Amino acid sequence: MKVLIICTEKLPNPPIKGGAIQTYIAGAIPILSKNHQITILGTNDPKLPHEETIDGVHYVRVPGKLLETYRKGVATYVRENRFDLIHIFNRPRLVSAVHDVAPNSRIILSMHNDMFKKEKIEQEEAKKAINCLDKIITISNYIGEEIVKFYPEAKSKIQTIYSGVDLKRFVPVFTEMGQKLGNSIRKEHNLESKKIILFAGRLSANKGSDVLIHAIHELAKNHPDIALVVIGGRGFSDNRMSDYIAYLRAITYRFPVPVITPGFVNPGQIQNWFAAADIFVCPSQWEEPLARVHYEAMAAGLPIITTARGGNPEVIEVNKNGVIVEKPEDPMEFVKHLTKLLSNPSLCREMGQYGRRFVERKHSWHRVVSDISQVWDEIRTRIENNTATANISLINEEKQNLNENKSEQTLQITEEEVQGHEKKLNDSLEESTEVEDDQTVQDKMKKDKEKNGKGKKDKGQKEKKEQYSRNKKKLPYSPFRKTRSKNLGLVKIKINIFN
Amino acid sequence: MSEEQLIIPWEIDSTLGKLYVPPYIEEMALEVLQHYNFKVNQMEVMATKEEKGGLIWKIETDQGPKSLKILHRRPIRSLFSIGAQEYLRKIKKARVPSIVKTNTGENTVEMGGKIWFVAEWIESLYEVKKDLEGTKILSNAIGEFHHLSKGYVTPIGAEHASRLYRWPKAYKRTIKKMKWFKDVANTHNDMPASRLILSTIDTFQEQARRALTMLENSPYSQLTARGNKEWGLAHQDYGWGNGKMGTGGMWIIDLDGVAYDIPIRDLRKLIEESLENLGKWDVSWILEILEAYHEANPIEDAVFEILLIDMALPNLFYKNMKEMLYEPRLFLDEKLKSDVERIIELDHTKWPVIEQLRKEWKGGKNK
Repeated sequence: MKVLIICTEKLPNPPIKGGAIQTYIAGAIPILSKNHQITILGTNDPKLPHEETIDGVHYVRVPGKLLETYRKGVATYVRENRFDLIHIFNRPRLVSAVHDVAPNSRIILSMHNDMFKKEKIEQEEAKKAINCLDKIITISNYIGEEIVKFYPEAKSKIQTIYSGVDLKRFVPVFTEMGQKLGNSIRKEHNLESKKIILFAGRLSANKGSDVLIHAIHELAKNHPDIALVVIGGRGFSDNRMSDYIAYLRAITYRFPVPVITPGFVNPGQIQNWFAAADIFVCPSQWEEPLARVHYEAMAAGLPIITTARGGNPEVIEVNKNGVIVEKPEDPMEFVKHLTKLLSNPSLCREMGQYGRRFVERKHSWHRVVSDISQVWDEIRTRIENNTATANISLINEEKQNLNENKSEQTLQITEEEVQGHEKKLNDSLEESTEVEDDQTVQDKMKKDKEKNGKGKKDKGQKEKKEQYSRNKKKLPYSPFRKTRSKNLGLVKIKINIFN
Repeated sequence: MSEEQLIIPWEIDSTLGKLYVPPYIEEMALEVLQHYNFKVNQMEVMATKEEKGGLIWKIETDQGPKSLKILHRRPIRSLFSIGAQEYLRKIKKARVPSIVKTNTGENTVEMGGKIWFVAEWIESLYEVKKDLEGTKILSNAIGEFHHLSKGYVTPIGAEHASRLYRWPKAYKRTIKKMKWFKDVANTHNDMPASRLILSTIDTFQEQARRALTMLENSPYSQLTARGNKEWGLAHQDYGWGNGKMGTGGMWIIDLDGVAYDIPIRDLRKLIEESLENLGKWDVSWILEILEAYHEANPIEDAVFEILLIDMALPNLFYKNMKEMLYEPRLFLDEKLKSDVERIIELDHTKWPVIEQLRKEWKGGKNK
């Protein structure tokens, strides 16, 4: 198919200035472009040409920064070019404008944030956008549920596709390689004998690092051997001061235990800090879509303490890979969970191992790409069958049947392709780890995998299935229970492990 | 492609002097001036906002004195303010400096990631007195400004700058920051001002909470529903420095922070600044300032209610505490302690006056 991907007006593609969505697209493109002719439309940048082709993917860049300006450039480009499918990222406000100039193209929208809330888009415009769309992909059930709350008509178009993590770059702390990476960081910062509690995220009140600092202060009374590492700045690559950061600094004065604040850490380096940690905490206070750091912490084999906010609990199986704080504003609840984990290293290890397996099964880039690929194929079928977008909700059932039959042939991506691509992505992130080390990790992980025993897979799946159904009753949220169960093909098989 | 040099905030140490400007910015200024038809004879730095990367020069040209300014905000945000200044001057004939066009007819030049622009320098400007008469003149002038700004529409290519719907958020932020101040005073409880702050901060936080409740129960949402264009702009940084007497009356300058709002906010700040100078809340003083405003931009009853609610926030306390986050070891000193004592005293005189205002304001003399 001829596919156009439309990114946001903020940051350019490829992600030379970072950006979650830009990185996500860069992660998926090399594989998707094997079966489709892809153009990526994004904002311009003084360092990048207005138009170029890299590895068969065409990049077009128009003036951005401001949505109104960007929308004009987008509309002009779309009017002059023809695409079968247009996949828009995180900007419902682009949908109608695109539909107006390309009424015959199918449009998909991927939602990474709650951009349908009423401060972000006028109700009428939102309704019109939903009507023009073939599909709305969300990065968590939470985002989908928020859309349906205001726009029930969107329900049949919504599908959750959880994000992925680079399983090679993030090395589990319980492997030799992980320990090697972690030890060098510990040594560098004089933390060799410490239990390290890690926070990684933007430094803003929403993300709740102040609550964690209060908890650590309290915790230090009984655990003088802990240290807190707070990674992040005011924003991407932004270490400027703010009232909030000044506040954090002011309350960590004469702190009873070390607080290390490296500031913004390049995404290519951040895995080293994860490898040095013992426990990962996400103290988010706001209704967050679903923070990527959860996947990273699990990939690094860390137990997770997160909060009952937004989509975050969707990737936590309580007491399996982490725990959920129900009152995120209360430092004492963090103290309670941290105390339990600190006094029980084997529990930490078990949770970390469970988390690692969890992301290996459900959050590899391979899985993300195949999910997207399936959605695209679903659209191709609609085009071939001449199914009108307006009728989609009516023929929802039929659509699912069609795709269930089709699923086997949709996934033509090989493991090698993914590995080759992941390597490329690593290189582009200027990873510091040498190739030799990389090889060691791969070998190590291969051995670990073998140790776990491939032959026992079926039995293992069954066990997990039972564990999960036991566990389910206790869970406030249940991952993959709602929309995911309607998923198709290979994905469905994978999810069945847990259903 | 060569990378463009960006203007980044610079630091000033005592050896360089307050008006130091990094040489690369001076070079940029000369380049920017190439875009104009006048000839520059002399440039003088008048003020810097070095911590944010902003600056203003007075330039003497063959076509008279002008100002050259670097706006520190994001370019698309600055374009909103430039658009407003042009609208107020050209369409509404307000006394704000005219923008001088470039030789290609543009309002601005973008360089170093910032917006630069040239405006007429109003030579005659002087500050009005800080007494009641002076304050009334300022009050009337900002009323006129608010009135004239109605109808302004965000230009294409500019960011839509509005605080109209953000009052509840701002109130919540005040409440939250009170907790921050408390935490910092607790951490630094060995400093001279900390004990007094800790003994009083709960009261101020409670005031902020009550103000938020009042706002939520007020006609605020009905008022904001009228939309940005209906309300027009608040200056957002108005006072003796940015409203000055000159040819033809009061001139309003430094418009770079203007944003859509319920503009009475500017008046609230002006009134409170004048009361701080006066040393107490005084009902007849405030009524006179309100009258002066009302003449230029009538205050409807619902807006008056919003004004009283906004006065109920612990604005003065908040304003004086903000710096403590940055340098608590320097800031929480004896001087702050006596400032807090003064603020507490002033606060005692505030509440009866707010009640009196509610009774005595009849919505202008003629009503």
